Amino acid sequence: MPLLEPSLVDSVIKRALKSGADFVELFVERKRNQSISVEESKVQRISSGNDLGAGLRIIHRGTVSYVYTEDLSEDGLLRSADLAAQVGRRGGGRFALADLAGDAHKPQLIEVPPESVGPEAKIELLLEADQAARAVSGSIRQVAVGYGQSAQEVLVATSEGMQHVDSRTRVRLMVHAVAERNGEIQTAMEAPGMQQGFEFFDQTSPAEYARAAAQRAVALLDAAPSPAGAMPVVIGNEFGGVLFHEACGHGLEADFVGKGSTVFTGKIGQPVASPIVTAIDDGTLTSRWGTLSVDDEGVPTRRNTLIQDGVLVSYMFDRIRAGQQNHPVTGNGRRQSYQHLPIPRMTNTFIAAGAHSVADIIAATPHGLYAKKLGAGQVDVTTGDFVFAVTEGYLIENGQIGRPVRGATIVGNGPRALHRIDMVGNDLKLAPGTCGKEGQAVPVSVGQPTIRISELTVGGTGIGPAGAMRP
Amino acid sequence: MTSVAERLLARARQSGAEHAEVYVSTGTEFTVEVFKGEIESLVSAESRGVGLRTFREHRIGFSYTSELEPAALDRLVDEALENGRYNTAEDANVLPQPESIDPLDGLASSAHAPTDPQRKIDFALEMERRATALDPRVRRVSKALYSDGRGEVEIANSHGLSAGYARTIAYGVLDTIAEQDSEMQSGFAFTHGRDLGELDLAGVVAEAVENAAGLLGARPVPTASVPVVFHPHAAAMILGVLSSSFSADAVIKRRSLLAGKVGQQVGSAIVDISDDPRLAQGLASRPFDGEGVPSRRNSLIENGVLQGYLQNTYTAMRTQSQSTGSAVRSYKSVPEVGVSNLVLKPGSLSRDALLKRVDNGLHVEQLSGLNTVNPVSGEFSLGLTGHWIEKGQLTRPVKELTVAGNVIALLQKVIALADDLRFMFAGGFIGSPSVLIEELPVGGL
Repeated sequence: MPLLEPSLVDSVIKRALKSGADFVELFVERKRNQSISVEESKVQRISSGNDLGAGLRIIHRGTVSYVYTEDLSEDGLLRSADLAAQVGRRGGGRFALADLAGDAHKPQLIEVPPESVGPEAKIELLLEADQAARAVSGSIRQVAVGYGQSAQEVLVATSEGMQHVDSRTRVRLMVHAVAERNGEIQTAMEAPGMQQGFEFFDQTSPAEYARAAAQRAVALLDAAPSPAGAMPVVIGNEFGGVLFHEACGHGLEADFVGKGSTVFTGKIGQPVASPIVTAIDDGTLTSRWGTLSVDDEGVPTRRNTLIQDGVLVSYMFDRIRAGQQNHPVTGNGRRQSYQHLPIPRMTNTFIAAGAHSVADIIAATPHGLYAKKLGAGQVDVTTGDFVFAVTEGYLIENGQIGRPVRGATIVGNGPRALHRIDMVGNDLKLAPGTCGKEGQAVPVSVGQPTIRISELTVGGTGIGPAGAMRP
Repeated sequence: MTSVAERLLARARQSGAEHAEVYVSTGTEFTVEVFKGEIESLVSAESRGVGLRTFREHRIGFSYTSELEPAALDRLVDEALENGRYNTAEDANVLPQPESIDPLDGLASSAHAPTDPQRKIDFALEMERRATALDPRVRRVSKALYSDGRGEVEIANSHGLSAGYARTIAYGVLDTIAEQDSEMQSGFAFTHGRDLGELDLAGVVAEAVENAAGLLGARPVPTASVPVVFHPHAAAMILGVLSSSFSADAVIKRRSLLAGKVGQQVGSAIVDISDDPRLAQGLASRPFDGEGVPSRRNSLIENGVLQGYLQNTYTAMRTQSQSTGSAVRSYKSVPEVGVSNLVLKPGSLSRDALLKRVDNGLHVEQLSGLNTVNPVSGEFSLGLTGHWIEKGQLTRPVKELTVAGNVIALLQKVIALADDLRFMFAGGFIGSPSVLIEELPVGGL
């Protein structure tokens, strides 16, 4: 069943055009989700939801206006079309959209739709994970395990005659372990996820992830406080890529660039990183958390090289910013839901693999910090200054991994850190995350191989407010 | 009761639910963002949705939908009941009995709806224009946004509860960029009220400009152990980290810093913290909570001593206490325990008088890395930006300072509070005055 009857799509767009709009876009979305949480070793909550709504964007004499509604009846939609036209009649702006380009690649196949699997099987996996985490140590005092699935269908149709649909199915596991000894508390989490059906769990063992989280929380009880100061920092692969995402990726989004509020403004063609750094945003990767067939403006996604051998190659655009800045579209126009205007966002963003093994990198580092896993972070897009928590860290002593440390933060400046990357590993991996910007949360992947930054401050330094990313 | 609520309650009972609860929310939104003197985008919308909880043999089922057609509502009932089959049965899974609810005036402004959209657009344009006119070092504004909305909540349950309220909100957000030589600093400020007329245009402009330009030329300083004054916004953000620990649910799930500490001294003797959903100026104010329990002011810390935790019906049942009217939710979620307007009670000193108590110390205006704070252990390592205080006066701007410690330890070192209460959104609507901390080791050069 189509999200909306084709004749209704047509009549809504025509109705909005009648006011003299230069451009009309209809975005319809249905999202069904289910979540299950286990706490205190029992099912704490199981809930499901159904979102269905539409957003109508019109451009009238260069001004963008947007109306959204949950009323998808003919009357409701036509009323919205009239409202959008009326709101947009003010005009006087200078916005135009870039042309569409490219072909949509085929949406991925979901083998076992998560909705076809009953709650029993999901609950069983969660209880197994709960038990596995608790079995790790008597110091584990609380375990929370969660399962989430969502199936989002979108339809984008414009007055240019373009019409695309995309379907995005995601499953995810979350494990949070709390360890305590003598009043001291440490926590650790794991949260793997893919755009797959329930077959995701053929390769992903919830119990293994649960054990890993529990072991890390317990190990942190024995960790020594982290030393502070400037030192070489080796950052682990996978979620370590959050550092690039926050400290550089956001600065390459064309809305920030267009306002001159990022350090990368006007730097295309210039060296912005060490020559061993190549960074990519790729919305086409199979089954990844941030993968899209078409973005939320109906633009086919693609593999966009952002930095090639240290030289800045491209920013990430939505149609509005591409039009403003006279650049081809890149497939980065995304929105949290039909209640939001699309803005430039990352998809799957990562630093490309290099030549070194992790062992090489550690061995080549006489002393420093091995930040194997990073947690939450914060960055000021204007200055590029960042702070990140190290959730699994070790001292590096005489080229070897030494004792675990806790409470470390790494602080620095994105552009400076990019120039100081002096070793890039061969172990590229991606991890899922939820990226927040302008009040809109979208699923993305971050990623990198193990990298070494010749000098970063461990401890803390001052920066301002900014975007936020959570694993 | 609206027809949607009536239909859902009746259908839930027919389908086998012993009890049920319906939460309907509807709202409007208007948002305008401007850039360089022109409208960048306008958003206008009406929105709605409904959440249903069913109770059968002490198992709760929950589901929500934004579709209100009869067939979709029937599916909602079926899904909630189906979900409930797999939930754990607990005696604590009950609905509250209806209690009489005192009305709370002033939540919705009658001036909200008739306000001409052009005046809202002009407000955003004027914020941007004035910001760039006020200080030559601020030549650019990266965000100038006005937004408002009206939300209505209706709750009904099978014990006969039927209640509702409406609330309006308006706010302006201004992000500025100050430049000098090759240095850039960003500044942020916001103003809020029940309608456009309550917004402080001059205030938000002055603050956003000062926040950016005032920090130009900031330099690191050597490591020192000094008294530290937190600006109300910085203090409120730290309180925001603590807020989840007041939840009885966090205590039960062993995720609260304050577990097992009722009756104990957790802060210095001048620390009073309360959660007050009936506060006149509170943007999180409401006459009843997410389960329809009448809201009331809850004292959480008095003279530094922890008084108790915030409860919803479930946690109250589990801990043999009473709901404190602290269930928070949207139609997309079940009622959790949370803060509304959380307030650190101001003192009687003026801000200047508070600063005069510091001969040599730090005034903290911006914090970084707050989301790296572990809310379970309370341990933090934060970046600080602000001004140095000499002989009671703010002098040179300073940056790249760090402070590490524990939120509880910080509360115990509070030695003075000013009278300049300000509110921030930080996981709730959180208010704090300027706070003087006895002494903290501040890491620098």
